[in-house]
Amino acid sequence: MDSQAVKRTDGWKSRIASELVEMLGAGAVISADDELIAYESDGLTGYRVKPLFVVLPSSTAEVSQVVELCNREKIPFVPRGAGTGLSGGALPSREGIVISLSRMNRILDVDVPNRVVVVEPGVVNISVTDAVSAEGFYYAPDPSSQIVCTIGGNVAENSGGVHCLKYGVTTNHVLGVEMVLPDGAVVTLGGPAPESLGYDLLSLVVGSEGLLGIVTKVFLRIIKKPQMVKTLFASFERIEDAGASVSAIISSGVIPAGMEIMDNLSINAVETTVGAGYPRDAGAILLVELDGPGAEVSAQVPAVSGILRENGAIEIKLAADESERELFWKGRKSAFAAMGKISPGYYVQDGVIPRSTLARVLGEIGELGRRYGLRVANVFHAGDGNLHPLVLYDPEVEGESEKAEELSGEILRVCVEVGGSITGEHGVGFDKKGFLPLMFSEQEIDTMNLVRCAFDEEGLCNPGKVFPTPRTCVEPGMKKPGSETHPAREMGELF
Amino acid sequence: MSHVTELSRMVSNFHVPGSGDADSGVPEFGFSSEVILYPETVEEISRILGFASQKGIRVFPFAGGTKLFLGNPVGAVGAALSLRRLGRVLFHEPSDMVSTVECGMEVREFQNAVGCENQLFPVDPPGLNSGATVGGLVSTNLCGPMSTRYGTCRELILGVRAVRADGEIINLGGKVVKNVAGYDIPKLMAGSLGTLCVLAEATFRLYPRQPFSRTLVLGFDSHVSCSQAAGAIFAADVVPTCFEILDGRLSSEFAAAPGAKRSVLLKFDSFEEAVIEQIKQVREITSGKSASFIEMGDEDSKELWDSVREFPFSSGASFSSKLTLPVTASVEILSDIESDPALSGVTVRCLSRPARGVALVSVDGDGEEAVRAARFLENLADSLGGRIMFSGIRRELRERIKAWGSFGEALFLMKNIKRRFDPGDILPGEKIFDAD
Ligand SMILES: Cc1cc2nc3c(=O)[nH]c(=O)nc-3n(C[C@H](O)[C@H](O)[C@H](O)COP(=O)(O)OP(=O)(O)OC[C@H]3O[C@@H](n4cnc5c(N)ncnc54)[C@H](O)[C@@H]3O)c2cc1C
Repeated sequence: MDSQAVKRTDGWKSRIASELVEMLGAGAVISADDELIAYESDGLTGYRVKPLFVVLPSSTAEVSQVVELCNREKIPFVPRGAGTGLSGGALPSREGIVISLSRMNRILDVDVPNRVVVVEPGVVNISVTDAVSAEGFYYAPDPSSQIVCTIGGNVAENSGGVHCLKYGVTTNHVLGVEMVLPDGAVVTLGGPAPESLGYDLLSLVVGSEGLLGIVTKVFLRIIKKPQMVKTLFASFERIEDAGASVSAIISSGVIPAGMEIMDNLSINAVETTVGAGYPRDAGAILLVELDGPGAEVSAQVPAVSGILRENGAIEIKLAADESERELFWKGRKSAFAAMGKISPGYYVQDGVIPRSTLARVLGEIGELGRRYGLRVANVFHAGDGNLHPLVLYDPEVEGESEKAEELSGEILRVCVEVGGSITGEHGVGFDKKGFLPLMFSEQEIDTMNLVRCAFDEEGLCNPGKVFPTPRTCVEPGMKKPGSETHPAREMGELF
Repeated sequence: MSHVTELSRMVSNFHVPGSGDADSGVPEFGFSSEVILYPETVEEISRILGFASQKGIRVFPFAGGTKLFLGNPVGAVGAALSLRRLGRVLFHEPSDMVSTVECGMEVREFQNAVGCENQLFPVDPPGLNSGATVGGLVSTNLCGPMSTRYGTCRELILGVRAVRADGEIINLGGKVVKNVAGYDIPKLMAGSLGTLCVLAEATFRLYPRQPFSRTLVLGFDSHVSCSQAAGAIFAADVVPTCFEILDGRLSSEFAAAPGAKRSVLLKFDSFEEAVIEQIKQVREITSGKSASFIEMGDEDSKELWDSVREFPFSSGASFSSKLTLPVTASVEILSDIESDPALSGVTVRCLSRPARGVALVSVDGDGEEAVRAARFLENLADSLGGRIMFSGIRRELRERIKAWGSFGEALFLMKNIKRRFDPGDILPGEKIFDAD
């Protein structure tokens, strides 16, 4: 792809604008500088790029038409949901078009007997649960941003949440997608059936960070709400003991719905801002949520309490009712926001480590913080080893944001060293593409590129993300294989 | 030097078929190979494929040889690559519940190895006790009754070490349960039938073993009462590990509920009190619907679950098929099949796994009638919004019944993936793709 080669004159730009307006209507094309500002970045506001246009299509056919135009004119395009992403995945391409899916926000079908809800990609995560809650069902993946983020964004990032230890992440709950491929063709992969046959292309699309096409419809699996939910709260003098409890609970045969740890700095930030009733002097707190059939949960509660006690818990509380349970969670859910209150700037990291290395890694993060002279708060999905270290800094202090970024990178190195990953749920995006080689060799990244090329030969779809260096679809030493085109395309059919 | 000689020098063990060595460990399978190679390291596999891809020699990977009847038959290849000598557990960290294993290891052995730590690799594919290997399991994405609770190995696989058709060794995915760095290529390997890469090692998420387990067998007089009961079980606050529905013939043959029109098989694993409570609930919600209700311990139910797990590959039928359907259709198909005249000339057996939307059907019958039955099933899958795969097709029917039903719009993307990964078709693509 070489968009720079094409000369972008003002005349060209206004011609494209009017073509888009004709296609989508004037209200669906944004080109004024002041209106484009809102689309310059995603949740990672440190990176900003002004796009050429933002378009707001309302249907699959419109998305396809826009993509076809982009192909004809060699314009890079970037799909965008709610823009809450934390890896710069929806960062616009220079001279590119942002395709916002926010107007495609209808729930198309609720099929409780088949346990499927079909939605457009702009539907907000929580709306899926809202649509089936009265029937006793819910949509399990619950990112903390669930009242804002979209299903399209969740699919692209393979988002997780606090309950994914037991129930899995987005990929375990997506049964099918309809998508507009990077050349404008429309395909459906999977569907309402829980299983499929043939190559598992769906698993490639989930977590593809918007590089394989634009998802325009999603078949989601819904599950029955558990009969009983019990939440335990425990405080510890040392965070290592909280970590040891997590491993011990799982080894005992119990898989809680979620297990979350917060360290002393996070506890105090939360207490200062929302007052969740956490003990300010504790080294760490651990929340354990158990759910399932009543008799099972009732048997698990004393077993888990015993394990917590054996591992040195100072205080153990079982939420007496729903309001106390909500209070326990309130602190956890407002942790990121609370950091914003105690520090003018913070950088969220998203590394993963094997649970067994928790104590070692937390020690090393503490050491790094001291070395850089920055505070690091730890809030994490402890059950699956997904750390969210929050590196606090002051953007007003010269060089401090760079230091914070560097420290964040060091944390990722530690995660990879102990056998973990550079990202558990926020994605590689623009932000972490330089770190991909920490985990994968050139050949391995080339192998990922084979997947991208099978979907997107031109490389126009969300370019400049995930891959550390630009890669074309003809690599040295690699024969250029012919590509199949969509059969309907060969028949000259237009989408 | 001939290619066979050169390839043979790359490994310490090989076998040239027809040389009179009866104990080659290679079962009867439908393809011919000039040489069978037994690599012992991933580097050997890499050298073999590197050489083969340069020379355009086709290489077919296999291991237990228990599932070679899946997918289209493979034509003649230059070399067959047996993974049997890569059979060790490489890593098992009990507190992380993660393990890495070489792909030639038998699934049963792997389960025993992690079982020592009271952990479970919760996949029970057909062939579990007759040599099915981890690589074969991943490549076929086969699963058994436990998939109701744990999903297929697609849900359990975290990473792979594989060799690309051009000989490049790649490690993809990782060793942690949550990881979104790069495309999820390990899942792509699940079900790819050895057409994309040779799998050398796989890393899986494990589960804890549960302390107590019970099986329930409910017999029904009619499809309607069975279907209502299944709906009620679905809606209840119970979490079965296994949930299967058998048609009348299988109910009798498996001695589940002899004489019943349908039977529902459930297995619960948890703390004892939780299992007992769930059984009580099932009893309450199905009372008045079921004609019989039997509770069994592990020992008593073992034979029954063995039969269920091996179906339909054990039935010796003309062909068997797997349909992937929406949940409700996978229950109603039992009655669709029974009442249709298109199937009146053949003997049909059907098992439904409703939580996975899977129906397994075996058909026994002669020529024309078997073909008609296959067409009927194919159309049925289509009309219900599902997909179908045929396997174990009798030789005389193979011309007329192909392994795969329609892949729908995904086919051209699947072909793109295959061409990107293996432009020279070194790993036989005909397992999945019909010749163009
Ligand atoms: C306070 C806060 C808390 C968060 N908590 C969590 C959490 O607990 N767990 C978690 O996993 N994440 C979390 N996130 C990150 C973020 O919310 C998720 O990544 C979310 O899935 C992004 O959705 P979005 O709609 O905002 O997508 P965007 O940010 O708009 O886009 C994200 C990526 O998806 C692509 N994309 C969007 N729509 C489509 C589509 N239709 N087709 C193809 N590609 C598309 C974009 O190109 C981009 O690469 C949090 C973020 C914030 C700000």
